[in-house]
Amino acid sequence: MGNMDDDGVTFAQSYESIAANKNASTPISNGHIPNQNFVPREMAKQQHEKELNEVEQEVQQDRVEVEEQQQLLLNKQLKFSAPAYTEIRTRSGGLHFKRTSEGSYHPATNEGHATSEGKQTCDDDKFKPSQAERVLSAEREHYQKTSFEDVPLHTACLTYLGFYLLMILGYINQLLFVPKVATEKARDGYVTLYDAFESFYSRYVYRRVRDCWNRPICSVPGDELVLKDRVTDDYGWSFRFTGTETRCLNLGSYNYLGFAAATGACADNSEQRAREKGLAYCSSRCELGNSQMHIDLEKLTARYCGVEDAIVFGMGFATNALNLPSLLGPNCLVVSDEKNHASIILGLRLSGATTRVFKHNNMRDLDRVLRTGVCYGNPKNGGKPWRKIMILVEGIFSMEGSIVRLPEIIALKKKYKAYVYLDEAHSIGSMGPTGRGVVEYFGIDPKDVDILMGTFTKSFGSAGGYIAGSKKLIDFLRTNSHAHCYASSISPPIVQQIYTSMSIIMGEDGTDTGRNKVQQLARNTRYFRKRLAQMGVITYGHEDSPVVPMLVYLFSKIGAVIRTLTTRHIAVVGAGFPATPIMEGRIRFCLSAAHTKDQLDYALDVIDDVSENLGLKYSRKPRDPNPIEY
Amino acid sequence: MLNNIMNFANYWWFRYLMVTELYVVEKWERVTIHVIFMVLFCVFWYFNYSVLLSLTSNLIGYTPLASILDIENEGAARVKVM
Repeated sequence: MGNMDDDGVTFAQSYESIAANKNASTPISNGHIPNQNFVPREMAKQQHEKELNEVEQEVQQDRVEVEEQQQLLLNKQLKFSAPAYTEIRTRSGGLHFKRTSEGSYHPATNEGHATSEGKQTCDDDKFKPSQAERVLSAEREHYQKTSFEDVPLHTACLTYLGFYLLMILGYINQLLFVPKVATEKARDGYVTLYDAFESFYSRYVYRRVRDCWNRPICSVPGDELVLKDRVTDDYGWSFRFTGTETRCLNLGSYNYLGFAAATGACADNSEQRAREKGLAYCSSRCELGNSQMHIDLEKLTARYCGVEDAIVFGMGFATNALNLPSLLGPNCLVVSDEKNHASIILGLRLSGATTRVFKHNNMRDLDRVLRTGVCYGNPKNGGKPWRKIMILVEGIFSMEGSIVRLPEIIALKKKYKAYVYLDEAHSIGSMGPTGRGVVEYFGIDPKDVDILMGTFTKSFGSAGGYIAGSKKLIDFLRTNSHAHCYASSISPPIVQQIYTSMSIIMGEDGTDTGRNKVQQLARNTRYFRKRLAQMGVITYGHEDSPVVPMLVYLFSKIGAVIRTLTTRHIAVVGAGFPATPIMEGRIRFCLSAAHTKDQLDYALDVIDDVSENLGLKYSRKPRDPNPIEY
Repeated sequence: MLNNIMNFANYWWFRYLMVTELYVVEKWERVTIHVIFMVLFCVFWYFNYSVLLSLTSNLIGYTPLASILDIENEGAARVKVM
């Protein structure tokens, strides 16, 4: 903060003096000892130990001590020369913690992770799997479990006011100063090539909190990650690295089942595969890029989804963007949810089909759109019937944290004889008692959904996407899909990562690791959501969805929350205006099976404190006074 | 005591900067916006004083402020006469 804010120095000083007075020592050391210095030191130590046998001990010890002292000095300099963030000023001088050791995050020991031994599967009788209860009707259950609380009026007004202030300041800024960016020289007779508003927005609004996005990391994003610290001297125009690193609890990765890890079966098998088969085939599946691995993966994916056949692609985004045009064309009607992902929207535009948007998860609106589509036909074609009608929905909507109302959509689809394309990018692996996605969550026959699409990027900790469905559909795609014919095939180690993680989830490795992971994710999700609701912050979405958006509304609050949480060694992701409506800035927590209860408790305590101090407790719902059971 | 007051003021100043988005902007921009706020406030005050007050007093036929001012003016006149 100190470098973003002119008063930051005084904030920090006042905080320090108060902390000193109160003797409440919760020192937040931003930037721990960088690894690149630490590792050589360790190596040097080991080398010294080896040499001890040969050479006299005392000389060596002296040298080690001198080196260690130099190292300590260097570390001190690194640590205090340019801290990435200083402590934010709060109500009574810093966030309070019961014990001093709680003030900073200590990397957890590996106990409590979901493993084959199943340490976390205590009190199994109370545990509810991730599954719809189906006691009430689908509609009633949806409304019971999903929450979209309205924004308080004064917050809405302030959000708009703040946004207008930022825009006004941006225009003044642009008027007075030449921005420090590459400018487009107007060529005679040409219009400018680059969109003016977007660059204006990113220069004068987004730039002010740019340090909270696109932060470089330098470790595997598992349950923890290591952030590379950077500071800015010119209000976000440019950054420089301080050379320090911060170890953070990772609440920002779509690593739902914790398969993104540098160790374990997945990593070992992938490494083995890379050594055997190399890194790439440099050719598409139709030509030389096909191999037995890919065919095995497709068969496994089909079995995983419970359908006849599947086809895999090397890129999740392209799976949507390039396969939709092969399924749809002009004179087709697509009924698409308003919160669908950009890849779907791009695919629909490429296909040239007519798109009608229905309100997010609103079945009455979907019914209306389908009815008008069926009754009035294609107005551009003189009211003749559409060639086909397709409903496009996602399993879990990643920005809203809500779950599709699949049973009702299936009923509507059967009523109007439309097709359903279900994008399970986030739900595959993370929903359902055995991780088979939202289809299993609702207990629906996978054959009722015509096209099942999903990605390997999230739960499987890899890259790529698949489409699963009937044999006819997949054969059609094999001959017609651009992503199949022109894109190069998936790299062997990536295939192996998917294959291993998928077999673990299916339990084909002979352990119940996969089942434990799915259950731990379900348990983490419910616990985290219930605790957040108890705190009184507004969260969106379904109570079983592992994506938890916490509404903070204001632009500056997104920045403040991310910065404060970083000083507490928690890494989260914020989402602001272009990705969400202006009114609904939010912090998005993504839960993982790799998180332990201790880690979540720590994060929740910090979030509680931060939301108290920054005023995020907007919710007017009654709060549960009882402690939440894990 | 003083420390507590300072803390309280600091904290709520910070919250004020937060809700107006002034927390993320540069110092000169913050000053500019505050100047604009002050100018707006003064313009509104003057408008209320000169237009709205006389309008309402005409409508209602009674202005406490004006009557007070009149008495003061009379007093001043009497002082001058004496």
